[in-house]
Amino acid sequence: MQSPIYLTGTGQTRFGEHWDMSIKDLMEESIDAAIENAGCTALDIDMVIVANMLGEVASNQAHLGAMAASLLPHHPPALRAEAACASGAVALHTACALLESGKAQTVLVVGVEKMTDIAPSKIAAGLMGAADAEKDAPCGLTFPGIFGLIANRYMHEFNLSRERLNHVSARHHKNGVKNPFAQFRKEIPAEAISMSPKVADPLCMLDCSPISDGAASVVLSTKFESPIKIAASQLATDTLSITDRPTITSFAATKDAMSAALQEANIEREEIAHIELHDCFSIAALISLEDMGFATPGNAIALYEKESPMTINQSGGLKACGHPVAATGIKQVIDVSKQLKNSKSSYGLAHNFGGAAATCGIHILSHA
Amino acid sequence: MRNTPAAIHRAQKDLQRKLQEGTILSFTTVHHTPEGFPAGPRNIGLIELEDGQKVSGHLISETDQPIAIGMKVLPKMRLSSVNTQGLRTYDVSYEIPVQQTVKQEFPGYVLALTGPSGVGKTTVSVLLSTKVGKYVERVPILTTREPKEGDADEYVHVSPEEFLALKNEGKLATSTCIPSRDEKRWYGYRTEDIDAIWQKKMIPVIITEMNLLQGLSSHYGRRSILSFGLMPPGKSKRQMLSSLLHRLRDRGRDTEKQIEDRLKNAEADLDFFKTRSELFDDVIVNDNVDTVVGQLGGLVLERVKA
Repeated sequence: MQSPIYLTGTGQTRFGEHWDMSIKDLMEESIDAAIENAGCTALDIDMVIVANMLGEVASNQAHLGAMAASLLPHHPPALRAEAACASGAVALHTACALLESGKAQTVLVVGVEKMTDIAPSKIAAGLMGAADAEKDAPCGLTFPGIFGLIANRYMHEFNLSRERLNHVSARHHKNGVKNPFAQFRKEIPAEAISMSPKVADPLCMLDCSPISDGAASVVLSTKFESPIKIAASQLATDTLSITDRPTITSFAATKDAMSAALQEANIEREEIAHIELHDCFSIAALISLEDMGFATPGNAIALYEKESPMTINQSGGLKACGHPVAATGIKQVIDVSKQLKNSKSSYGLAHNFGGAAATCGIHILSHA
Repeated sequence: MRNTPAAIHRAQKDLQRKLQEGTILSFTTVHHTPEGFPAGPRNIGLIELEDGQKVSGHLISETDQPIAIGMKVLPKMRLSSVNTQGLRTYDVSYEIPVQQTVKQEFPGYVLALTGPSGVGKTTVSVLLSTKVGKYVERVPILTTREPKEGDADEYVHVSPEEFLALKNEGKLATSTCIPSRDEKRWYGYRTEDIDAIWQKKMIPVIITEMNLLQGLSSHYGRRSILSFGLMPPGKSKRQMLSSLLHRLRDRGRDTEKQIEDRLKNAEADLDFFKTRSELFDDVIVNDNVDTVVGQLGGLVLERVKA
């Protein structure tokens, strides 16, 4: 980054089932929280970017940029970013680009998703929009189904047992207990994971991130300094359909975004002390760790079976925190910034992907 | 929306490509199927086709054999989903062929008559035994249902426990479970009955329905089955169903309620002739019993002499 981009304000709602809150209420609560702890006032914000995937499907609401801007006294210009579950990372990346170009000096990024207003079958159909509607959907595949295919192949190729996979969700649930914003703050023993109802073999309910409402906001600025800055912001993409890929046990977009991010931050992988990764399904956590180079193919589970040198999803990850789709990418950055402040370590990383990693965004944070 | 007429039309150009044999790269069982699809569980595979391209597709299997990565699959056109307007979408599904439970040596021929109830299967088989009785013999149907008048030697009645014991011991050539209002009814054929008829150098005749026919063809191999579908006369499906209705009423064995159920099943049976045409050597319209019996009798004589 040419001029440092500071993370000056952060705020989020609790993730979970907010029956009494609309998409606008959720945005408002997180925006208020972010501005309150920012080193600037609401009037200093000169651009708003909203990340959202399912506004039209779940709330009959498009045009969220203007809706978010209307929550500020001076109605700054606004736009919306959508890349399925990676919407948050794409919005952050867009904000960084605006800040680097000088088009804006202080940008508010809001990720919001309201998922509990409509029937689960309708939300499932909406989420399937993250895959290829004419290649993947016609055979009756669902999103858990796509990750069921991926998990089965991974377990076949690397001889991973169902029992060992249980440790991923168990660890995330354990971490989530300490997070006041998490949807599930309950420890779950590893053996209970595979005993939960089957969703898409070999994946069970407790391998899957839940359906959640929630919003998360950050204020990024080149003008107002803060202790934490963005050291790298990178995006990469891959084919929408898993049928167009040479392998399904590794995600090329994660690899590409990771190498570009390390290069941009000019650091070694080993310097990263905290990661928040995209565990939409337990198997995704393992594949992501391998693609980011923290483990060799087939061996990421070892990082969950013993203590690893870096923290992985200390917040509880998508599994325990909840996964209000577009809010997740922003929430990860907030959690990494908190972890850096507490540990005084140098670098932390947020890894957010959409679909079966057809879009991947990686942000590296550091002390300013 | 994937199941609108335009989306389906666009999908046509991929159909030819998808009609290839393939290998299962991975598979999953989706327990909550999307709207428009039959309720789960639904087996879906990621399949590498012969030309190297990959597709995701519905996996189907005639038996309960476990699916495994690396299995070969064959393309089959099947009804995939029905949208809210009632538009039916057909797509390529992938069938896991029955693994080599098929006996290697050719066991002999079995004459199978399939068709909706009321089409005249029993009449045809009775006439057949008067015409070429020296060469054919009826295989009794093993069932758990209550004996009825007119069952005579057509059925052998056993308890559900006995039936399942035989099934588990592998003594049934094929079996199927038909749920009715208050109980599960099992139907099947004993291998010993069929073997006994072959011992006498005769051709076993089986009066059957679609599930049993599929099982039979897996058990003995498709080439062992002289398989004939019997269709009621009529130019349209409606006419065919109406002629069945009249025959069922004339027969007087069933109540109106039972007839209604039988007609519902009959519709599925008629569709089956089309969707699984590979399971039939011929589908014959039973408008004149004598012609049909003549045709079948000729065939039997041909096999016996060969």
